[in-house]
Amino acid sequence: MENQGGNEPTQFHDRFERWAGKVRRRMLFSRALTGLAYGLLGGVVVAGGAWWLRQSVLRPWAAALGLVGVVGAVAWATRKRWSDRDVALFLDARLTSDEVISTAVELRSEAERNDPARELVVKQAARKLASSDPRLARPRLLMKRHGIAPLAALAILYFNFIQLPPAPPSPPPPPGAELVQVDELKGLEKIIQLEKLDARDAEQRKRLDAIAKEARKLREDLKNGLEKREALARIAKLRDEIAAEKMAHGDAKNRAGLEAALNKLKQNQKTEGAAKALGEGDLTQFDKEMQKLANQAEQADRDAAKKALEEAAKAAREKGAEDVAKSLEEQKKLFEERSKGAEALRELGKQLGDKLPPGAQKDLQEFGDTGDPAARKRLADALGEALEGMTDAERKQLAENLGKQLEQQGGGAMSPEQMKDLAESLKDPEARKKLAEALKELGQPPGSGDAQREQGLDDAERGGGEAQKGLGAPAPVPGGNPGAGNEPGSKPGAGSGKQPGAGKGAGKNPGKGKGKGGPGSDHDEGEGDHEGSTDRVEGGDLRSKAGTKWNKGGGLHGATLGRSSSSGAGETANQKGSGALGKVAPQEIGGVERSEVPEEYREQVGRYFEP
Amino acid sequence: MTQAEPTDLEARLSFARDASSRLRDAIGTVIVGQSDVVDQTLWGLIAGGHVLLEGAPGLGKTLLVRTLASCLDLGFSRIQFTPDLMPSDITGTNVLVTDQTGGVTGRFQLHKGPIFGQVILADEINRATPKTQSALLEAMQEHAVTIAGTRHKLDEPFFVLATENPLEMEGTYPLPEAQLDRFLLKVMVPNPSEDELTGILTRTTGHAMSAPSQVLGSADVLNLRALCRDVAVAEPVVRYAARLVGASSPESAGAPPIVSRAVRYGAGVRGGQSLVLAAKAVALLEGRAHVAFADIQRVALPVLRHRIIRSFEGEADGVTTDDVVRELLSAVPSRPEPVQQAVAAR
Repeated sequence: MENQGGNEPTQFHDRFERWAGKVRRRMLFSRALTGLAYGLLGGVVVAGGAWWLRQSVLRPWAAALGLVGVVGAVAWATRKRWSDRDVALFLDARLTSDEVISTAVELRSEAERNDPARELVVKQAARKLASSDPRLARPRLLMKRHGIAPLAALAILYFNFIQLPPAPPSPPPPPGAELVQVDELKGLEKIIQLEKLDARDAEQRKRLDAIAKEARKLREDLKNGLEKREALARIAKLRDEIAAEKMAHGDAKNRAGLEAALNKLKQNQKTEGAAKALGEGDLTQFDKEMQKLANQAEQADRDAAKKALEEAAKAAREKGAEDVAKSLEEQKKLFEERSKGAEALRELGKQLGDKLPPGAQKDLQEFGDTGDPAARKRLADALGEALEGMTDAERKQLAENLGKQLEQQGGGAMSPEQMKDLAESLKDPEARKKLAEALKELGQPPGSGDAQREQGLDDAERGGGEAQKGLGAPAPVPGGNPGAGNEPGSKPGAGSGKQPGAGKGAGKNPGKGKGKGGPGSDHDEGEGDHEGSTDRVEGGDLRSKAGTKWNKGGGLHGATLGRSSSSGAGETANQKGSGALGKVAPQEIGGVERSEVPEEYREQVGRYFEP
Repeated sequence: MTQAEPTDLEARLSFARDASSRLRDAIGTVIVGQSDVVDQTLWGLIAGGHVLLEGAPGLGKTLLVRTLASCLDLGFSRIQFTPDLMPSDITGTNVLVTDQTGGVTGRFQLHKGPIFGQVILADEINRATPKTQSALLEAMQEHAVTIAGTRHKLDEPFFVLATENPLEMEGTYPLPEAQLDRFLLKVMVPNPSEDELTGILTRTTGHAMSAPSQVLGSADVLNLRALCRDVAVAEPVVRYAARLVGASSPESAGAPPIVSRAVRYGAGVRGGQSLVLAAKAVALLEGRAHVAFADIQRVALPVLRHRIIRSFEGEADGVTTDDVVRELLSAVPSRPEPVQQAVAAR
């Protein structure tokens, strides 16, 4: 019996280990189920997310999270495995053994071997374990949370088999991001033509070549395909550069000289029109004005114009505007040539006398009075035709007359050599042919270099506009000048009131007119019916009803002002590239003189605004 | 199942169980009802501590003590505490010895006071001055008294049962907390139930009652006290007692809200020792050689109620220390949390 008593600790140990093993296994299994449940729950989230994101490949793998949960739970459970003390406390609570098992577990160790209660407590604990129903000490295997597992598994299955949601509509590409591919873009060729334009100097040559080169490169890029916005931006840049070239006379360097030259030209009544054109930067018009003066019959008028040109060039040079001075000198030289050509035509016309058709006689008169280039052309054509239509005897008579005049007057407007050549030409058929061609050339004298340049730049700028339009962009108005004509034809025509008793107003220059638009307006010339039909408005009712808001603090748009409202050089780039201070729009030149500033203050105001 | 021979410890446990049963029966011949009070008094006796009995007059406190003393065959002394009671009235004093003729011999002889008994009834202990109270409390702690520089050891078992009357508090000297701590248990003597009162009336209005029989001698009591110390306590049970004591302090992180609000000072180390010792006595008197959580819970009220000092707020709110201890018992888990959850999940 003593042996049996002595074996009690061993018996208790064996029994306790068996009970503890069962408890721990069930705990482990329960925790594994918990891990499975939570893992599958995570899998539901993943499967749902994959479904939502249309990642169909990921969906089946969501179930694997259940396995991950089991593994994690087992690892966690192993780490948190109950100690013998915890198991003993659990058994004591379940078997209502008043902590005898826990006490026995404490007394198992060698250190407690001498405890007087050890033997008895261990024996009682062993008895308790032997006599108790193991089912009482089973930890609960299935918890409420384990119910998540089958539901989550079903949810994962559901997400695996339902159809993926429709793909969201792809966001629209940013404006202008579409690729354009154009073999030949209309308008670019005009810009490329700048490389053939006669440049004012080497620097301008370089700039024009660079513009043309860029245009050529753009054309090549467009052939290969280019984003629309990039193409438009590059065209806009080209247009800015072209506009900057047109502004050369108005830049800071030449501005003072230009102002001085304009003052000189304005001092002469004959050259006022030319001064206005030059002030507006319209070199073509300026050239035409000078051509008119060169065509005029009065020698005094021509001399005055020539002198005005000389003084203007001198004044410009004194102010350091070399470019302006060169232009004016070139114009003066051209003026002289044109004058001579005009005199030759007039002289020949006089010699022909009655041989000229009546229309040509009228043209001869108008040519002398107004210097109209159109009349000059018509006269030259008429002279050519008249010479062709003459008999040999008449030609011989004309040659003799020319010889007599040569003897009497020494050639008059024509030089003796010219006169002699002309007389000789009339005898030989081949020479007559050449004479006819020379007359044609005299009818259409070449324009000045500046005018040609401006013409070329205008064409290039228009080409840029066409290119932008060709790419589908709203084409801006080329140039910043309003296209108001300055000829009689642009003035108000006749108005006719529709209301009874309103009367009918009559314009000063009804009907016929010849207007010139601003840069980029293609210099359209034509005749139009300007008879208006505006209803008469009583003075008392003439009130503005406009309710627009005016932002007093902000400047008007660059296209309206002709220049940008920038605060520093090079900070902006409008279409003209004239956004920097120091550059002005053509219409700003001479603005003070044209303004309503009283005469006595103009000089002072002009000095104030002088750069 | 293997049926082992009864060990020596088993026999001693059986004796203890039997002794407690006989003691209860013997006391029951005099005292009607008050079984909890009797049990708690026995815990104090077996654990080797002292017991403070608090109850209204006439509830049989003094009778209980006298009856217990009679049952134990121990020397009984009763000290009626009054405000004019002096320490020497408790401990005794040296007096000059005279010869037969009345002449002075020049020698002094010790006249032992009532403290030199074994079961001491300190009746209405709060009516004496603190100086006198402290004379008793020294004896309780040291189991010895010092008279005129001479230390006198008291006979064992030495067991003090003090009584307090919660009424008529005027002119009393409530025991300081430090001295209250010397009592193992503070037993509240409740009013008897109707049945108990009926029995009391019947028993006390007839002929004089016979004295209760002696059940245990002093040696038996000492044996039981020694056996009490042999009762084993598992570490989780001791830890539970420690958690209870710790949670009774408002500074403790695990203190329940009522402690934080209504307690100024919690139980100390002596409170924890008393918990385990009293629980051992409970286990012993039930014939067990080990302590259960339930034993700790049973003794928690009488052990801790006089060791917890309420705050002003607690007193103002009428929170009793019994309320605090009950809250501690419900708030502090006996087992670790995972085990508790697994036990609860059936």
